[in-house]
Amino acid sequence: MQIPSKPDNEVKRLEALHLIQMLDTPSEPRFDRLTRLAQFSLKSDIVLISLVDEDRQWFKSRQGLAVCQTDRDISFCGHAILSDNILEISDTLQDERFADNPLVVGEPSIRFYAGVPLKYDGQAVGTLCFLGRQPRVLSVEEREIAFEFARAVEQEIEDRLQEYVHDKLLISEQMYRSVLDGTRIGTWQWNIQTGETIFNERWANIIGYQLDELKPISIETWLSFAHQDDLAESGRLLEEHFNGLSAFYDHKCRMKHKNGHYVWVHDRGQVVSWTEDGKPLMMYGTHADISEQMNAEMSLLESRDQFRTLVANIPGITYRCKADESWTMLFMSGHIDPLSGYPSSDFIGNAVRTYSSVIHPEDRARLEHSIEVALNDKSSWLLHYRIIHADGSIRWVEERGAAEYNDVGQVLYLNGFILDVSNEKKLQERLIKLTQQLPGMVYQFQLWPNGHSAFPYASVAIKSIYGVTPDDVIDDASAAFSRIHADDLDAIIQSIEVSREHQTVWQDEYRVHREDQSIMWLSGNATPEKMPDGSTLWHGYIQDITQTKEYYLTLEKLNQQLKVAQQSLDLASEQAQIGYWKISLKHGSLWWSPIIYQILGFNSEDIQPSLSLFKSMIHPDDVKKVEQGQEQARESGIYNMVHRIIRSDGEIRWVHELSQFVPEEKNPELIMVGSVQDITERMRLQKMKEAFIATVSHELRTPLTSISGALNLLQSGELASLSEKSAKLLNIASNNCNQLIHLISDLLDIEKLVAGKMSFEMRETNIRSVLQRSIHDHQLYLGGKSVRFALNIAECIDEISILIDEHRLMQILANLLSNAVKYSPNEGMVTLSAQKIADYIELSVEDEGEGVPEEFRSRIFQRFSQADTSTSKMKGGTGLGLALCKELVEAMGGTIGYTSNKTSGARFYLHLPIPVTS
Amino acid sequence: MELNTILHVEDDESIRVIVEMALVDLFGFTLFSFDNGKDASAAVEGLQPDLILLDAMMPSMDGLQTLAEIRKIPSCQSIPVVFMTARVQQSEKKQYLEAGAVAVIEKPFDAANLGNELLSIYDQCHQGV
Repeated sequence: MQIPSKPDNEVKRLEALHLIQMLDTPSEPRFDRLTRLAQFSLKSDIVLISLVDEDRQWFKSRQGLAVCQTDRDISFCGHAILSDNILEISDTLQDERFADNPLVVGEPSIRFYAGVPLKYDGQAVGTLCFLGRQPRVLSVEEREIAFEFARAVEQEIEDRLQEYVHDKLLISEQMYRSVLDGTRIGTWQWNIQTGETIFNERWANIIGYQLDELKPISIETWLSFAHQDDLAESGRLLEEHFNGLSAFYDHKCRMKHKNGHYVWVHDRGQVVSWTEDGKPLMMYGTHADISEQMNAEMSLLESRDQFRTLVANIPGITYRCKADESWTMLFMSGHIDPLSGYPSSDFIGNAVRTYSSVIHPEDRARLEHSIEVALNDKSSWLLHYRIIHADGSIRWVEERGAAEYNDVGQVLYLNGFILDVSNEKKLQERLIKLTQQLPGMVYQFQLWPNGHSAFPYASVAIKSIYGVTPDDVIDDASAAFSRIHADDLDAIIQSIEVSREHQTVWQDEYRVHREDQSIMWLSGNATPEKMPDGSTLWHGYIQDITQTKEYYLTLEKLNQQLKVAQQSLDLASEQAQIGYWKISLKHGSLWWSPIIYQILGFNSEDIQPSLSLFKSMIHPDDVKKVEQGQEQARESGIYNMVHRIIRSDGEIRWVHELSQFVPEEKNPELIMVGSVQDITERMRLQKMKEAFIATVSHELRTPLTSISGALNLLQSGELASLSEKSAKLLNIASNNCNQLIHLISDLLDIEKLVAGKMSFEMRETNIRSVLQRSIHDHQLYLGGKSVRFALNIAECIDEISILIDEHRLMQILANLLSNAVKYSPNEGMVTLSAQKIADYIELSVEDEGEGVPEEFRSRIFQRFSQADTSTSKMKGGTGLGLALCKELVEAMGGTIGYTSNKTSGARFYLHLPIPVTS
Repeated sequence: MELNTILHVEDDESIRVIVEMALVDLFGFTLFSFDNGKDASAAVEGLQPDLILLDAMMPSMDGLQTLAEIRKIPSCQSIPVVFMTARVQQSEKKQYLEAGAVAVIEKPFDAANLGNELLSIYDQCHQGV
């Protein structure tokens, strides 16, 4: 018998055999089905699937045989696996390799064997073999079938192994999943092409849900929970990953939690399979809740922002720099920009310039020295120095800083704070300048309990006060005290002592000797402050009041003079019958001057002054008027009233009361003073004058009416025909009569105007028709003179109404026109014009006469003035016309004026205001 | 209605003569002249003039008083009254018009033209009615 040899690749073969993991496993239908089929097909007594192990052959499936394994040494299959082809032994007894084989000579008495090698991974791991108890030869076809079955078994082995691996995978996947479920990590699987998505329970938990609640699940589920603001970035990162630009999709995004807040999720994933045309198909990934981490990060960012804002808002510059030679800035807050005119980025890392480059060159060395000293002492520093701004201006800064040291005491950084103190500096300088400008001295005076005194500070003006310099008295005040007038010294020492003891303001007036021995008056004022060392420090001001003293003396004199004047006034008031009274509304006390008693007809000894007494004396007809006047006085503060009183003796007297009330805030005692003047005599004269004027008016006009009427009738020629000479005489009489009538009218008008008794009927009037009528009326009364009239009215005038008394305006124009005619040459032109200028209307009358003579101009609007007496005889006229015009125009709120030159005549104009509403 | 008869009250004789010449000689009106208001107001009812011309200032009974007397007579209440005055002030003129005068003529007046003036006043008066 021949023991089968081991193939060359036995080690690899055994590896493959173990790889298929079939040894010593239970029988399986997939193999048994094949062997039964093979047994039936080839009509074989026994069919086996034999696996050739190191020392044995083991049958995975067997038909027609009870034993499940035999030794490899006696095996047929050990031979069969040595070749790729089928091993066929037609008669075992005839083959010396097997004739004495126990399986041939004993049970199961094998006479025929055919074995086809079974291969896995190129190695023959066993055979599919057919055994018979009779010798046999397989036909070609039977061999083919045997091969086919062997291939089928190989396939089954392959499949079985696949399934096995799959099962194993399944187990491990389940294991991983349970591990993952135990962690805080969610997983997802996404079919990119279909959108089909699988999340695990944890994925749902992260956003506060049970997975079941979210079903049905697709990629839409994720999209609906992701923060809208994060989707774009997510899309970009996915695209990057799909295009092979990144190994992983890795994104931190927010997901909306069931409770409404957002949780931060770290999303990582990778495409694991691709479609045939290269599109991403399946992607697996994880979700991790990183809210806490993100929140921590956010709050860190926030606090950093807060710090930045804080630093940015501090009105100074914070910095950190290296302790190197150029103080290289590591950090410098933005406020350096307004201070230096350069951004902080210029300084950080000395990018553009060093900080020391903006420090005033004169201050640099001092600064370096101070910092060096501070570093050596490990102390902080406080420095004042100048920065030169980009625009060339100089800024004063205050810097406080300190260094940071390491454990062994080496300087790590310099940290500091720089503040712009330019304004304070300016203020300080201004204050010093101001102090210098003060006429007096500003000072501090210190007095110690031992009696020693000094001026720790005194402005330069001390020189003009005490004749010493501030340095002379900085430690000892005696040089100043030696100047004080001997008569005043004790009093001063006394007053200082009082101020010190009671801590009250020191105030004194005293004399010092000037260097030229003249006397100077001083006034001092100082506030004491107790010092910790028991001394007292006064802050004060001393000024030269020599001049004020002189003023005061002068004032005294004036006061004296005033008293004299007052006496004269009293005397005068007695003569003018003006009495005075004074009342305190607060206390009700009333005082009358002696004249008042006189006016009222009382004897001052018998009567107590009282308001009710005075009131009772007011004429019953005037009571109402007086009450109204008092009412008005309450508003205007001025009481000005003329009324009658009935004296105790029955006599009626006119009085003029005048008083003024000073407002309460200036008059705490509510004192009112006033005067009462007896004007009975004046009133009598006034009445006489009025009566006289009324009489003149009537009594003069009545005969004039007859004269002018008679002349009129005669002149009309209706009663009798007249000779030429008679007519001429009548004309003269008539002209003179008219002139007289005008004179009387003008006189009366002027009187009325001056007395304020002329009444005006102011109406909104359009000027054009007034002007036209003026011209028209005047043409009727030319008196035979040949003058042409022109009317020149600007168009805009028709749109304007002004407030005037039409009748009075006509009167004014008549006067001006009559003057113009009077002074016009024969055939001259008189132009009446109207135009708008700014906010008034100008009416003017222009003639072509000789103008207004120089010497007459200053008094042209005065009463009874005329160019000269000779012309007055020639031209006629009263000399009242222009004076009356002026009074009338002004009473209506307008003005009158003229321009004149020799060649072009005179031009008189009126300016009448246009009402604001017009 | 035509202006024919005029009653004139005026204390100054010269003026009465001039008015008479101006109205009678030049215009042919019938004129009744009185030198005081009392006589005039006593006579007016019987005369029934078409128009009354009153001087404002007269001794004892002035123009306004005369007007008041005349207006007391029922048949004389609608006769137009014209005042003549030597102290023409706007306020005074207003006073006369308010008392019932239809016009105020200022003294001195244009004698040759007085008739025309009264005619036009009278016409205006009746147009108004």
